[in-house]
Amino acid sequence: MTARLNLDNIQGLVARGYRGLSYARFTVFAIPGQDAGHAALSWLLPRITTAGKFTADSALHVAFGAAGLRRMGLPDGVIAGFSAEFGEGMAGPDRSRFLGDVEGSSPRFWDWGAPQGSPADAVVLLYAATPEILGRRQAELAGCLAAAGIHQVTVLDTVELGDNEPFGFHDGISQPVIQGLSKGARGARALPAGEFVLGYPNAYDQFTDRPLLPASDDPRHLLPRDPAGSGAADLGRDGCYLVLRQLEQDVGAFWEYAAEATRRPDGSYDPQARTALAAKMVGRWPSGAPLIKAPDNDDPRLRDDNDFGYHHTDPDGLACPRGAHIRRMNPRDSLDPSPGSEQSLAVNDRHRLLRRGRPYGPGTAGTAADDDHAIRPARDDSSPARGGTGLHFVCLVASLARQFEFVQHTWLNNPNFNGLYDDTDPLAGSRDGRGATFTAPRRPVRRRYRGLPQFVRTRGGAYFFLPSISALRYLDQLPAGAVSAPAASPTTR
Amino acid sequence: MPHQIGVTIQAPVAVDRVPELRAWLAEISRKGLAEGPFDLAHVRGLHFARFYLLEETADLEGRSIPASLVFMSAVDAPLRRHLADLVDVAGEGMDQAFRHCTGYPGPDARRRAKIAWLRGHRVAASAFYVNTVGRGLEQIRQEAALRGALADYLDGRDWGGSSATEVRRELQAYVAGRADLAWAQRPPAPPSVFFRAREAVHMAAVPLALALLLPVLLLILPVWAVALRLEERRDRPVTERPALAHLEELSGYEDFVTQNPFAVVGFVKPSRLRQLTFRAVMFAIDYAVRHVYNHASLAGITTIHFARWVPLDGWRRMTFASDYDGAVEAYNDDFINIVWWGLNAAFGNGVGYPPTRWLLWGGAQYEQQFKATLRCHQIPVPAWYTAYPSLSAQNIENNAQIRAGLRGEMGPADAQRWLSLL
Repeated sequence: MTARLNLDNIQGLVARGYRGLSYARFTVFAIPGQDAGHAALSWLLPRITTAGKFTADSALHVAFGAAGLRRMGLPDGVIAGFSAEFGEGMAGPDRSRFLGDVEGSSPRFWDWGAPQGSPADAVVLLYAATPEILGRRQAELAGCLAAAGIHQVTVLDTVELGDNEPFGFHDGISQPVIQGLSKGARGARALPAGEFVLGYPNAYDQFTDRPLLPASDDPRHLLPRDPAGSGAADLGRDGCYLVLRQLEQDVGAFWEYAAEATRRPDGSYDPQARTALAAKMVGRWPSGAPLIKAPDNDDPRLRDDNDFGYHHTDPDGLACPRGAHIRRMNPRDSLDPSPGSEQSLAVNDRHRLLRRGRPYGPGTAGTAADDDHAIRPARDDSSPARGGTGLHFVCLVASLARQFEFVQHTWLNNPNFNGLYDDTDPLAGSRDGRGATFTAPRRPVRRRYRGLPQFVRTRGGAYFFLPSISALRYLDQLPAGAVSAPAASPTTR
Repeated sequence: MPHQIGVTIQAPVAVDRVPELRAWLAEISRKGLAEGPFDLAHVRGLHFARFYLLEETADLEGRSIPASLVFMSAVDAPLRRHLADLVDVAGEGMDQAFRHCTGYPGPDARRRAKIAWLRGHRVAASAFYVNTVGRGLEQIRQEAALRGALADYLDGRDWGGSSATEVRRELQAYVAGRADLAWAQRPPAPPSVFFRAREAVHMAAVPLALALLLPVLLLILPVWAVALRLEERRDRPVTERPALAHLEELSGYEDFVTQNPFAVVGFVKPSRLRQLTFRAVMFAIDYAVRHVYNHASLAGITTIHFARWVPLDGWRRMTFASDYDGAVEAYNDDFINIVWWGLNAAFGNGVGYPPTRWLLWGGAQYEQQFKATLRCHQIPVPAWYTAYPSLSAQNIENNAQIRAGLRGEMGPADAQRWLSLL
């Protein structure tokens, strides 16, 4: 069943990643009290971009953490209707262990979002076509927040959106295609909208849990009613969870490792082998061409190719290793039960992320075109750079546990992933005592790379909820103590 | 190689000792069970072990069920040796644990008295799943060492230009040259003749008995199915969600190593029909795990090392416990995506489970209701021991195949397939 989406009520970030708006800045702030929160929200509301028709030269979105919603006046009983992970937050000790945010990635060292720092109550995501427009919008936002007495926890700058992520690989190729939202892509499996937007049937043809209020708590009928028919006011519908993580990438260490590991017997560097090893770790060449289709050499004609499976063409991972980044983050048909089957694909579909990240910081990697392994700054970026280079990872999901956290723990950081012994994600995995191996299958004998450094570190992060326009209006008019208790329990079809 | 047994010991805890026991469990949780006072690393043939506390509760008719302490081990046979080890090796820890329980003979009691007490407090599992029946701890450890040695040997050379058959021959020669790996050239010994004979008889006798009873069963089955369906229609969807504090306690004990312990407890629906259905299902599960799912896969799930279903309090309650790879979310997803029907058949007879249809359908297919039910009924396992914390069940099976591939003749394709296991 394809549900009709209420596009004018959904924040536009769900529908588009704003490739045309190459400049972005994310402002994380703490809400000192309900009045301040309402002052800011009233200013923000008319400026928010919806998923409807879009032609503007800038876009603005706002999302709230659990504590932020509480400070906006939403009672605990309602917040409990969100998922437990959202309520608990990203930075508790057990969750950090689960997410691999340990050692150098521990919240102890985070720039923002850690329990000991200023609360990351909310985030405004600004996108613009030019740096000038972004600067203007940002100044307006800063003015509004200052007027409301709101403290900015951090302003996350990004660099101009190019084709490549900071390690130097073409990125963002494989995005889930969403029924009723995406234009059909060749070979892509369209997922039910409920996998990414609450209040619509998900991949199990059920409604994901979300806060439902007694209709009496919404006398002005600002909220849509529960589509499952309970009559409750649906605070979650047309919204979704937004994961924001600042992932610092040690670009130099990555390429240096690849260069050292592929030295010729005489000790000289082998740039081709270096790039080939890096590509093995990623599963795509720097151009984006997938190894499954271009196993030996980069083929820029395949840069956006996303029409492939693994099991039938490459069961042993000779072209694209089982442990390669893209074969872990989206294993397609390679996992149990019965790899290569429709059932395997269906399981994969239940763990997809809608990615909206933006790179930050100066410099990106040399690529196959370079003759030496030196890192050259590829971006002439005038925005103020802080805290290295990396990705402000953003993903949108309907279930933090089944989507984001599952992928992070069971696929990315799991040393035993898909039959492996000690291999976390070679590119982005944590190496907390284990996982520092990368296995590249070959004939007759695989090559094992051991002692892989950790190339990506978490520097901050938080779970947010990206509410619908109607939920924001509801929050905006919420007087102190207006809502009593959650109405109905979540429903199932 | 021995077969594996699941030992479950349950003993009531004196009411006034419960807070003290909780505190002790918290302390043991930090220390772990591998070293003193339990020293489980030296208990022979022990794969996994755990303690958990079942808090005092009231049954469905309001009768009180006292708190009890549960100890479980998954261990190589024989039982006699294991019980002796629990007293001789882990005795100091066992004394500390069970001194909270009524009737425990106490630290100064004689060895035989303690063993007899442990033996007397065993609870029989109605089914015990072993990932691969007959694969003992020694074999798992040896084969992991073999894989490590072969992998390191492969790392030491550039094999470009060699054929798969040549590489395999080199590896065979390498193993032959190492006295400490001599065992690897032989297949692992099977479990005892007595065990195999018993299993063979059971495997044949059950279908035979069912065939004899078939006429009666054919008469009963339709009536049973309709009666069950009528009962099912009275079940309500699960609306309960686990409390945050409960979730926090559970996750405090999870995701430290490759495997995790899982334990749930719940009441069996009290109607005679449900009680009967439940026992029939458990009988079927027992048969299936002994004779069908006895090698590397539980109906398609390859991440479970051991699992057991143990009826408690005269079948009024049931506890299910397992040692599985990965996170609980992934474990539940496997249940939902792969063996929903099996989960429904067993847990569908439990109070508070999402409604089933014709026993097998519905239930676990309601993803969130199912996950919430399991989390609500999950019991924290503060003290848990694993003998091989970094080996997944898939790794262990892979290691066994590596050993098996050392023997016999192989063509180039088979040799290459075998090399890719390394």
